[in-house]
Amino acid sequence: MFDAVLAVLGGVLIAAGLTLMAGGTLGLLRFPDFYTRLHAVRVADGIGAVVFLLGLAAVSGDGAIALKLMLLAALVAALGPTLSQLLANAAHLAGLSPIAGPYRAPRPGGRRDV
Amino acid sequence: MIALIGAGGVALMLALSLVRLHAGPTLYDRALTASSIVTKGALICAALAASAGRVEFVDAALALALGGFVLNAAVLKVFRVGTFQAPMARSGEDA
Repeated sequence: MFDAVLAVLGGVLIAAGLTLMAGGTLGLLRFPDFYTRLHAVRVADGIGAVVFLLGLAAVSGDGAIALKLMLLAALVAALGPTLSQLLANAAHLAGLSPIAGPYRAPRPGGRRDV
Repeated sequence: MIALIGAGGVALMLALSLVRLHAGPTLYDRALTASSIVTKGALICAALAASAGRVEFVDAALALALGGFVLNAAVLKVFRVGTFQAPMARSGEDA
């Protein structure tokens, strides 16, 4: 009974992770500039990878493998956003402009000009 | 069985990502795609481990994820400063 519940839960999680990663890969292929691609890949793909790994841990049926897979999921969840920040910072410092034009922060005091 | 199907799906997405790795107009696109491809390779390793019931493959996936992150950070640093031997202090500044 418990095994069947785990198998169904793992199957649902793996399917959800694959769907999220398919969306991320589609965004990587179709989006117009680097920052939008970064958004697609590192958000959808990162969450999809974590969900996929949790589903694998549910279907693996072995305690040691499941524990290590959850450790890998925690590692991917921690490293993905860090790397995305590094990538965006490196591209921004190198002068790569977004497709919408450079960002202008609103000035204090309500002055919209300069 | 379902882990094998998952591995096949991730392998399909890895093959699709290779298109962007080839065509990406800037270096940063290629760095982003390379990091995504390494993560997908780690996911394939993990899926094969869950399918075959062997712990060593999960260790390989952990090493891939960690090594891919460190390598990508180093490559971004090289993009920024242009050398592997960047000085720790700015020129003209007394250390």
